[in-house]
Amino acid sequence: MIPANENSEFNLSMKLRTLLWCASTLLLSVLIVQAQGTNDNEKFENQLKQLQEKFDKQQREMRESFEKQQRELRESFDRMSREQQAEIEALKKQIAAMPTNAPPGAQPESGTADQIKELNEKVEAVVEAQTKTRPNEFNPSIGLVGETIFSYSSQGAAATNGNRAGGFDVFQRSVELNVAASVDPFAKGYVVANASADPVTGDATFGIEEAALQTTSLPWNLELKAGRFFGEFGRLSYIHDHELPFVNRPLALDQYIGGESRTDGAQVNWLPPIPHYVSLTLGAGNGFGGDSPLNNPGTYRALSGFNYFGRLSSYFNLTPDWNVETGGSGLINPSTQDRGGAIAQPNGSAMTEKQRQVVGFDFKLNWVPLQNNQFRGFTWGTEVLYSDSRYLVEPDGAQNPAGEFMDRVGSLGLYSYMTYKWHRQWSAGFLFDYVQNAQNHDDETFAYSPYITYALSHWNQLRLQYTHTDHNAVAGLSPDDAVYLQWAWIIGSHAHGWQQR
Amino acid sequence: MKTNLFRLLSLTMAAVLGLAALPAGAAKVRVVTTLTDLADFARNVGGDHVDVFSLATGVEDTHGVPMKPSFVPFMNRADLLVLVGFGCEHAFLPALLEASKNPRIQYGRPGYVDCAKGIVPAEVPKSTDHSAGDVHPYGNPHYILDPVLAKTAIQNIYDALVVVAPQYREDFTRNREAYLAKLDAKIAEWKETLLPARGEKFVSYHEHWVYFAKRFNLVYFGTIELKPGIDPTARYIESLVASMKAEHVPVVVREPQFPEKVPAMIARQTGAKLVKLPIMPGGVPNTETYIKMMDYIVHTMLEASKEKGVASR
Repeated sequence: MIPANENSEFNLSMKLRTLLWCASTLLLSVLIVQAQGTNDNEKFENQLKQLQEKFDKQQREMRESFEKQQRELRESFDRMSREQQAEIEALKKQIAAMPTNAPPGAQPESGTADQIKELNEKVEAVVEAQTKTRPNEFNPSIGLVGETIFSYSSQGAAATNGNRAGGFDVFQRSVELNVAASVDPFAKGYVVANASADPVTGDATFGIEEAALQTTSLPWNLELKAGRFFGEFGRLSYIHDHELPFVNRPLALDQYIGGESRTDGAQVNWLPPIPHYVSLTLGAGNGFGGDSPLNNPGTYRALSGFNYFGRLSSYFNLTPDWNVETGGSGLINPSTQDRGGAIAQPNGSAMTEKQRQVVGFDFKLNWVPLQNNQFRGFTWGTEVLYSDSRYLVEPDGAQNPAGEFMDRVGSLGLYSYMTYKWHRQWSAGFLFDYVQNAQNHDDETFAYSPYITYALSHWNQLRLQYTHTDHNAVAGLSPDDAVYLQWAWIIGSHAHGWQQR
Repeated sequence: MKTNLFRLLSLTMAAVLGLAALPAGAAKVRVVTTLTDLADFARNVGGDHVDVFSLATGVEDTHGVPMKPSFVPFMNRADLLVLVGFGCEHAFLPALLEASKNPRIQYGRPGYVDCAKGIVPAEVPKSTDHSAGDVHPYGNPHYILDPVLAKTAIQNIYDALVVVAPQYREDFTRNREAYLAKLDAKIAEWKETLLPARGEKFVSYHEHWVYFAKRFNLVYFGTIELKPGIDPTARYIESLVASMKAEHVPVVVREPQFPEKVPAMIARQTGAKLVKLPIMPGGVPNTETYIKMMDYIVHTMLEASKEKGVASR
């Protein structure tokens, strides 16, 4: 057994020996590693040096090779250019030797640069020509409407109170020239000039139906129209003949308005700034109605001598396909001065209009199927007019202040029509007319008119209409049966106006 | 009494004019488009910053949208009017524009957005004479059925929105990029889908498909209409049927705006497949957006081709 002291000395000696061994081993290892590291560095340096030399050599060789190829390419390119130039020169000589249509003095171009230059000049010339403004570029859009009526009427003019002969008739009702363009950024202008055959003499007469200026940029949703135009009254009075859904203008419009609502004056239209469509028009003019003689020509006219008119209209969508447009209109001339002169009455008296008032209500029910509205459709339109005018009555037909008196006559008139469209080209309908004479409401006229329309195209349309006209006993006129064939056509510009919708 | 009446009238007028002067809707841009594809583009680019109203619902003829007076108040308040251009809307837009009394959207003003700007038109007529029918003097206006050209329309709408509401430029740009990326992916998909139908011949009622056919390598054989806007005559139908038979035209396209009778008869006589294709979103069910509509058109054409045409071989 080992004593304790010896055991501790042994332990200490063992520890020292172990420590010395470990230190020696560590030192040796470091020396060996260091020696190995020194050898590796030298080796790497040598390898790097060799690589660098090799790289430099390859780079040098490549540069030389590249320069050589470049030289060869340049020489080859120069050679080809010389050859092509020689070919071009040879071709030019051949072309020069050939017969040519070139103008005298024209020299053959030399080289591609000249050709490019020539092309550039041509392009610039074309561009310049495009940018030039020709005087006629300011010409307005022009369209022409022709309308011929072939007809047969069982009664003559005396029996129908009309203005066309009875029997067979051909009537060039209108040749209408439409011209329109912007005047400036603030207004547009348009003219509708109409040439038609005089119903009595047959001579061509030429007149200006409309010639007006219309603003395009007034504030507050206002629009002003001034000049000669069809004043906004009712539904169809401001529509030109060829745009009517039937051949002839309804009797009530002829009787109370005088056909088309032509006036020389001004009107203002206002679109109220609300989400629902409402349109209000107010106007004033000298005369109202295309067929009436001028009101008060040649004498002094007070403001009361003018015609004042207006219309309030609106529109409602009943369903996506069904809608209704409705409106009310009014016309007043507070002091008419011999409008139309003295009108002879069947009883021998004569009536001269002194005050003119007409009010009207209209509606149009439309079926416009969204999907195929070009092919299907239905319209029911009705307008009711009430004429309430004052007349100076000469009982014996001659001017005699002792016997004359003022009479107020209220007369009613209406028309109602339905049109059904079942094809892009075909539609048919029926028009009913009723009117009381404006000077004598006991004098009544009725008319019934079925019609069928065939549109060969949008610009070429035929319409066949039969009209039976009847009168009551007071009228003293014979019933009439008439057949009309209307052929209307359009050439040139044709706008789809708001009023013709 | 007269004084009271005068006061009442004055107050009414002042109230109405005051309402007119108020800016309607806080800061949203009010956009009116003629057709539904343009409305879809405007909504995608404008996002929450626009109120869009389309005159057409999708089922109408692009040249014959009914002129409803109810459109006028919308147009009167619009900041932008977006249209196809090339005379596509000539039958209804000029009169509506005049009735709108809105100077901001008149021709030449920044609010008048002609989407045809930058489009090279096809089929520009040599002369504008009605012997060629209701011809479009500026060229065929149905370029939006080519989705690549539709991107030009989208860009035009974007440009106009930026002009009228520059404060939303970043949003408009982000929306446009997102929509164009989506559209580009769909264009690639549509091209691949229609690859089997390459060279397919077809006829349609109206000349709607010139740009579409070119984009997808189809052959637009002709139209059932004699001329644009002119219905076919019996003699013309006879010659069309004969030439379709001779050239083995396997597809007859009917746009929903036109009656089925004549296209169906031609399909029956030639043995072709009759398909109904919309010309703007909403034209047939489940085509409420432009992308949905083009999806419908592409897949319907492919199916027709698989059944009767080159894709079946």
